[in-house]
Amino acid sequence: MSAHGHAAEESTFVRTYTLTRGRTRPRYLLGLETVLDAGQGRPGPAQPEECEEIFALCRERRRSVTELAGRLRRPVTVVKVLVSDLLDVDALVVPLTHPYADTDAECGPSTQLLAALSAGLKRKWPDAIAYPQAG
Amino acid sequence: MVLHTPPRSLVDAAPAVLKIVIAGGFGAGKTTAVRAVSEITPLSTEEYLTEASVDVDSLAGLEVKETTTVAFDFGRLSLPDAPVPLELFLFGTPGQDRFVELWYDLSRGAVGAIVLVDTRRLESSFTPVSFFEDLGLPFVVAINQFDGAHRYHPEQVRTALELPVSVPVVTCDARDPNHVAGALLTLVSHAVKNASTDPAHPAPTTSLQDA
Repeated sequence: MSAHGHAAEESTFVRTYTLTRGRTRPRYLLGLETVLDAGQGRPGPAQPEECEEIFALCRERRRSVTELAGRLRRPVTVVKVLVSDLLDVDALVVPLTHPYADTDAECGPSTQLLAALSAGLKRKWPDAIAYPQAG
Repeated sequence: MVLHTPPRSLVDAAPAVLKIVIAGGFGAGKTTAVRAVSEITPLSTEEYLTEASVDVDSLAGLEVKETTTVAFDFGRLSLPDAPVPLELFLFGTPGQDRFVELWYDLSRGAVGAIVLVDTRRLESSFTPVSFFEDLGLPFVVAINQFDGAHRYHPEQVRTALELPVSVPVVTCDARDPNHVAGALLTLVSHAVKNASTDPAHPAPTTSLQDA
């Protein structure tokens, strides 16, 4: 997005505000890393074109809230509001993750999941630099 | 307002998502490191932050809340050959104090963090280091070796940052995928070590012996 001075910045802000119809909080508990799939529903005609964009992106593949915000060049909170609207009409769904994926928010991922990550990284980069371990 | 849990699809299970934070000062090479291993061009994502700022017009110096925008990088890679299908999300975030609110969000449930260090601006690493230390999030320090910059020994950086011996300090070239992957692996091993010594999170072998 190229800035054309203060006026452009202001109009972007107004546009963003209109996009969410003044709402500043999403209706659903969505994390930065929450992933979304396209569902059976469709964005409604009254919804802004950004909802169509989000829907189209999620139809291509699963996308996280952060990725959608980055691709739409809109702040994360705005995208969360729009994603909430799309969840309401079943245009988006949160996919069920693998049972191993039940990460404890306080303690972090399980040791099984960490071991799987380590194995996956080593397979992807067999020539990864092996650093000596501290402590 | 009550936040609702989003409806979940019951069709095919998605790969498990794991996230790692890459923090560092301006120009430390965060975007470069994300780009080195990400399957997509790193995306610059914006979020609103509410921060207290002192109203300069006010004689009383009253604190007012101000909404500002901060940007952070996002990259991802899939590891379909892992024992369980995995997707790794990478978040590159600047090292200033005003990002702390965002760091809480990013750190929740994360594997850990890599603090990327430019030895010419070592002071910009203090904030992220103490944040992750206080939070108890496993982190490693990776010294990005810039061409022409003086090469410090990792132990010199450890001393300067007052890091305990348990925190791994490695040197890397943030442009090289094998180096960044190595730093990620170092972090994962460190996180495993942390999890096994944490009584709230026993290693699976312990629970098997107990059973």
